[in-house]
Amino acid sequence: MSYLTLSAYEISQKVKSGELKAVEMVEAALAQIKAVDGVQGQLDYQQTDPAQDNKVHAFISITEDIAREHAAEVDRKVAADEDPGLLAGVPLSVKDIFCVEKTYSTAASRMLSNFVPPYTATAVERLTEAGALVVGKTNLDEFTYGSSSESSAFQPCPYNPWNPLHATGGSSGGSAAAVAAGETPLSLGTDTGGSIRQPAAFCGVVGLKPTYGRVSRDGLIAFGSSLDCPGPLARDVRDAALMLQAMAGNDPKDSTSSLVEPVDYLAALQQDVRGLRIGLSPDYDHIAYPDTETGEISYQSIQKEVSQAVFDAAEALAKAGAEIVENVPMPNSRFGIPTYFVISRVEAASNLHRFDGVKYGFRTDQPFEDLNELYRLSRAQGFGTQPKLRILMGMYVSAAAHAANYYQRALKVRAMIRKDLTDAFDPRGAYRIDTLLTPTTPTTSFKRKEVFGNSVLMQYSDQMTVCANHAGMPALTIPGGLDPAGLPIGLQFIANDFREDLLFRAGRGYELSTADASWRQVKPLVLREQEVNK
Amino acid sequence: MKNYEIVIGLETHIQLNTQTKIFCGCKADSWESEANTNICPVCSGLPGILPVLNAEVVQKGALLAAAMHAEVNPCSIFDRKNYFYPDLPKGFQITQFYEPIGKGGYMDLTMPDGSQRHVRINRLHLEEDAGKTKIDHGVRLVDFNRCGVPLVEMVTEPDLRSGAEAAQYLTQLRQLLRWIGVSEADMERGHLRCDANVSIREVGSTVLNTKTEIKNVNSIDAVRQGIEMEAQRQIVAVEAGEKIESYTLDWDAEKGTLRKMRSKETEADYRYFREPDLLPVVLSNEEIERIKASLPELPLARKARFVTEYQLNDYDCEILTSERGLSDYYEAAVKAYGGEAKSVANWMINELLRLMKEKNLAASALRITPQDLAQIIQMVDDGEVNAATGKLLVSKVDVTGQSPAEIVAKEGLGAVSDDAALLALVDAVIAASPKEVESFKTGKESLLGWFLGQVMQRTGGKADPKRTRELMIKRLKN
Amino acid sequence: MTPEKITPELFDKLVELAQFALDPSEKEYLRQELNHQLAAVKELSEIPLDPDINATTHGIEVQGAEPRPDVWVPFALPEAIIALAPESEDNLVAVPDVASARKAVA
Repeated sequence: MSYLTLSAYEISQKVKSGELKAVEMVEAALAQIKAVDGVQGQLDYQQTDPAQDNKVHAFISITEDIAREHAAEVDRKVAADEDPGLLAGVPLSVKDIFCVEKTYSTAASRMLSNFVPPYTATAVERLTEAGALVVGKTNLDEFTYGSSSESSAFQPCPYNPWNPLHATGGSSGGSAAAVAAGETPLSLGTDTGGSIRQPAAFCGVVGLKPTYGRVSRDGLIAFGSSLDCPGPLARDVRDAALMLQAMAGNDPKDSTSSLVEPVDYLAALQQDVRGLRIGLSPDYDHIAYPDTETGEISYQSIQKEVSQAVFDAAEALAKAGAEIVENVPMPNSRFGIPTYFVISRVEAASNLHRFDGVKYGFRTDQPFEDLNELYRLSRAQGFGTQPKLRILMGMYVSAAAHAANYYQRALKVRAMIRKDLTDAFDPRGAYRIDTLLTPTTPTTSFKRKEVFGNSVLMQYSDQMTVCANHAGMPALTIPGGLDPAGLPIGLQFIANDFREDLLFRAGRGYELSTADASWRQVKPLVLREQEVNK
Repeated sequence: MKNYEIVIGLETHIQLNTQTKIFCGCKADSWESEANTNICPVCSGLPGILPVLNAEVVQKGALLAAAMHAEVNPCSIFDRKNYFYPDLPKGFQITQFYEPIGKGGYMDLTMPDGSQRHVRINRLHLEEDAGKTKIDHGVRLVDFNRCGVPLVEMVTEPDLRSGAEAAQYLTQLRQLLRWIGVSEADMERGHLRCDANVSIREVGSTVLNTKTEIKNVNSIDAVRQGIEMEAQRQIVAVEAGEKIESYTLDWDAEKGTLRKMRSKETEADYRYFREPDLLPVVLSNEEIERIKASLPELPLARKARFVTEYQLNDYDCEILTSERGLSDYYEAAVKAYGGEAKSVANWMINELLRLMKEKNLAASALRITPQDLAQIIQMVDDGEVNAATGKLLVSKVDVTGQSPAEIVAKEGLGAVSDDAALLALVDAVIAASPKEVESFKTGKESLLGWFLGQVMQRTGGKADPKRTRELMIKRLKN
Repeated sequence: MTPEKITPELFDKLVELAQFALDPSEKEYLRQELNHQLAAVKELSEIPLDPDINATTHGIEVQGAEPRPDVWVPFALPEAIIALAPESEDNLVAVPDVASARKAVA
């Protein structure tokens, strides 16, 4: 059994039984990282070495000492017949937007490149207590602002393991790539507008955005406080469920974390899809394409392989006993991106106020005359372009003169978007669906540098994912095939508040019904090359 | 010169006396602490860390709103007020802009000359305090200890008409805050801060003219002074044909002067929006009723009741209700005494207040209890001890902690009022003082006091003065 | 062609509010992108709002915990927080003064 084929679930079972040692798992992870990752992301890096072209670059920092320390503890517990936890001995990577003690927690920004926090995010603490081993912090779009991970101040940005010329998606690009490239079976990411699901889809892995408030945001450097959700990335649905189980639940340090008790997600997985009502919406079978000069929206078809994959999935699920409900209307979903532009930017601008060169993080080393100059130079130099753009947009649409027109309206439109979904899920409504099936992204992964720089187009790649964020509802992406270029296609399931169990059930059902599909035998390019080079 | 009236609105910041800060578990009061020792990731604005609301802050805020006769908002919301300043670590202050915890309300002022002023309250809201900066050799040094301390901001309508009224408002407010136990309200320690908005207009006008804002006043007297100075300045300026501009004025405590700081016209845009890290502050109807019911009898109501119930004059009631503990003490003493309330009032105002001042203690902190005081008064009434001894007993009881009766018995302080004993003493003094008797008989009647003094001396001050006087006169005139 | 909403003057004001010191090329790129975003957002102001819908702070109505009890919980390492500051003096965080802060107007 190779490290590359073991699931997190299997690893935890084998470590608990003593068949594998946690310290072995650390070394296996580190070895895989060494084999495929290439140089980690760094500030002011100039990419010139062609040997790096086919590497993954998923990480900013590797935390082998922490991992080894935790591994020793897990092994000690196993030997002493103590419960080592749900994720015993499973190597884990953590998106570098989470504060973790004794690690550089950079948010992929120069602003925090030297920041070592004196506290650890609750989600990471819970995973570690459950026996997971944090082997490194993954790269991301700076402050999670982006959908390609290209805006990181730490270059090279992550490359897509299926085709290194392509983007991983973002902002949890490093996390998705690390899982796809077999570096860690699990990764902790965050999803604000699609930042777990979109890169997971682009990289052919499973990604879950839990219900807002399901997982604590304590220690997560904030982007959109009313939208941010920490969540798992994994290679299969059962692993994602396992990871959620280990970290879900109320946290008194986060006032927005929910008191609703987590259910037994692994048990939910056991249920098949018979009787499950799966909806399809015509509002998700075309993509909005904005004219950046006029703002006029034109509609285009989704990439046809992606459309086909959704259709095939519906068929496969129907064959397995699910009921497909067509024509579920989602009329307000097309306002998802404009609404997101406003709400997320207002919150982001405010959340970034604290980075000012005074208390921690980057301070300019240019001379300054007074306090205002200190602020201006530090913020101009510490932040990349994307954070600046977010801040300026946020300030504009929340300014007293504009707030009513933009911010206040956006809050109402958000509620309208949610209502489309609650109506569809309403057990006394016309559709009574358990979950909505959509494509995760309008297209498969785009080439790096192709979209970067066009902030509007970049944002629109989130149009299929963003509505679940507005609604606060959980959504899961799972691999659903490959396009003719060999790039992964993602299928998305959305469910009602706290119904992650239904998502897992549907996702697992799809996995089982397509277990023999030929595309499942195809590995990412990086792994194929690794095999060849052995 | 025309007749002008001064129009004043006050904005007060009240530091609540909870144990901990509003959004984290650090101490609410760190006056004694070393710089930057009372901080945590929440109040020092570290990334990723979230605020968690203190339940007691809500209770005290609602209680204050109720005490000010304001409408307690069943669903108040926190907002972010965004701006850059080193003592504001998050780059925003969490406050309540759109939906404050209290709306409306009033305070009725009674001025020393008896005039009344009804001051309407616009709003009360909860917010967090910022840190402190001190400036030293061109460098700002920031202490975050005070970041996150819970404040209630209370804004009046422009209903006040003089510096004296403003001072009265603050005096009554301070009394109320201590009375209901939500704040120590010590202006010198920053528990109570006040900014004053001042404008003038011709008497009879209802227009609100441009106002200036006075900040950084650190005492009630400075508020009064500052307002009077500014009003005067505005009158002079207007008479000279100048326009009043909307400045912020800084009070210099050392010099007792006001300095123009900056023009208020460029109001910063704080881009208020709902704080997404916190939930709405919800108070059910039952809770609001419970909070209202928990309000004690408030100072003005108690004072009015004392006047009618105990038949006391206004001035005495003012003193007796100046502090809640003192008025509770008074009532307990009256109850224990059972006799004329006025008598107790006199003893309280003369003897007990003196003792409190000597020891710098509140009434409730003294060892002498209301029951002890009542006993002393009773003993004097009964002639068991004379008045002078009674006064002495007040101190003795407080020092020893023993009851008045015990002390009298132990030290033999009982009044000498037995006629036979007194006569014996009177005769003894007369016999021992022939010269003085001679003087008295030849007209120096003022010597009576001396004779009484002699008797007092021989009895260690315990002779009943009235009876002794009667007997002495009888004997001397014999 | 939609007229640009953010003029160079307004943009400069935003930049000042946001406390940035930008160089000209970055400025122009940012201003263009902002206007593109505003164009994409313009339909937001034209959406007919459902009159029964209220603005909410979060998508989902959060069922969170009650406010916390008023109990002192000291943070173990306040020094670690101040140690993060780029400059400090005597355990106070040090920054330069604002040039025009306390200029008294005669």
